[in-house]
Amino acid sequence: MASSSSSSSARGELEKMGIDQLKALKEQADLEVNLLQDSLNNIRTANARLESAAGALNDLSLRPQGKKMLVPLTASLYVPGTLDEADKVLVDIGTGYFIEKTMEDGKDYCQRKINLLKSNYEQLFEVLAKKKSVADEAGMVLQSKVRQLQAATTS
Amino acid sequence: MSSSMALRDLQRDLESKANDLAKIQKDIAKDHQLRKKYTIQLGENELVLKELDLLEEEANVYKLIGPVLVKQDLAEANANVRKRIEYISAELKRVDASIHDNEGQQNSKREAMMKLQQRLQSIQAGKAKA
Repeated sequence: MASSSSSSSARGELEKMGIDQLKALKEQADLEVNLLQDSLNNIRTANARLESAAGALNDLSLRPQGKKMLVPLTASLYVPGTLDEADKVLVDIGTGYFIEKTMEDGKDYCQRKINLLKSNYEQLFEVLAKKKSVADEAGMVLQSKVRQLQAATTS
Repeated sequence: MSSSMALRDLQRDLESKANDLAKIQKDIAKDHQLRKKYTIQLGENELVLKELDLLEEEANVYKLIGPVLVKQDLAEANANVRKRIEYISAELKRVDASIHDNEGQQNSKREAMMKLQQRLQSIQAGKAKA
């Protein structure tokens, strides 16, 4: 009930606006929707990277010490090596700082970041949904006004 | 005769005000970019501080300086990050104040321009009638 009345009052506002204003509003809203979509995509990419990091950590923790492995020196050069201590990991926390953590803490760190990103994603998604509905409403009102205008001028 | 000169003066004034307005708007846009950059940096540094606070006393902290990972003292790292946060917050406040000022100037320029345009229009309407 409340949401429908607020959306109909918003629609009333949109109806009152002139065609040019409406077009400007719709363009502005579309721009914002695109920006929000990009941000959402960025969050999704970052989340995927964190999940693969967490997966790698899990895998590493299962390997015994002294296990033979291939270490990447460049994108196309690997050298053979043995796994030393898998209990300590270096975590990149941003702005050039790295901290040494235990495997447990490292996994916990990844999980914390993933949760943070998930909640950011959800908040952003809500904002996007609202902006999108405003843009769509503006578009519909604009179309009906343009049609009215055409009908008036041709008749 | 004199009215057409007044007309030209008004138009020149309008043009110069329009140029000023464009410059102010460019400054506002630049300030917004700066503000975005500072907000992102502030957020990142606060995340780092949180992580550092979660660490125990003897945990090892390293800082990436160029291609070198240098071991740092936890207290020193904390102090550095806190100082950076202070600096960025101060810069953010400064940019906000600058945006506020510029927006005020922008509005007053717009009003002045509107008044000029109205005078221009009334003079031109008067000339058309005559």
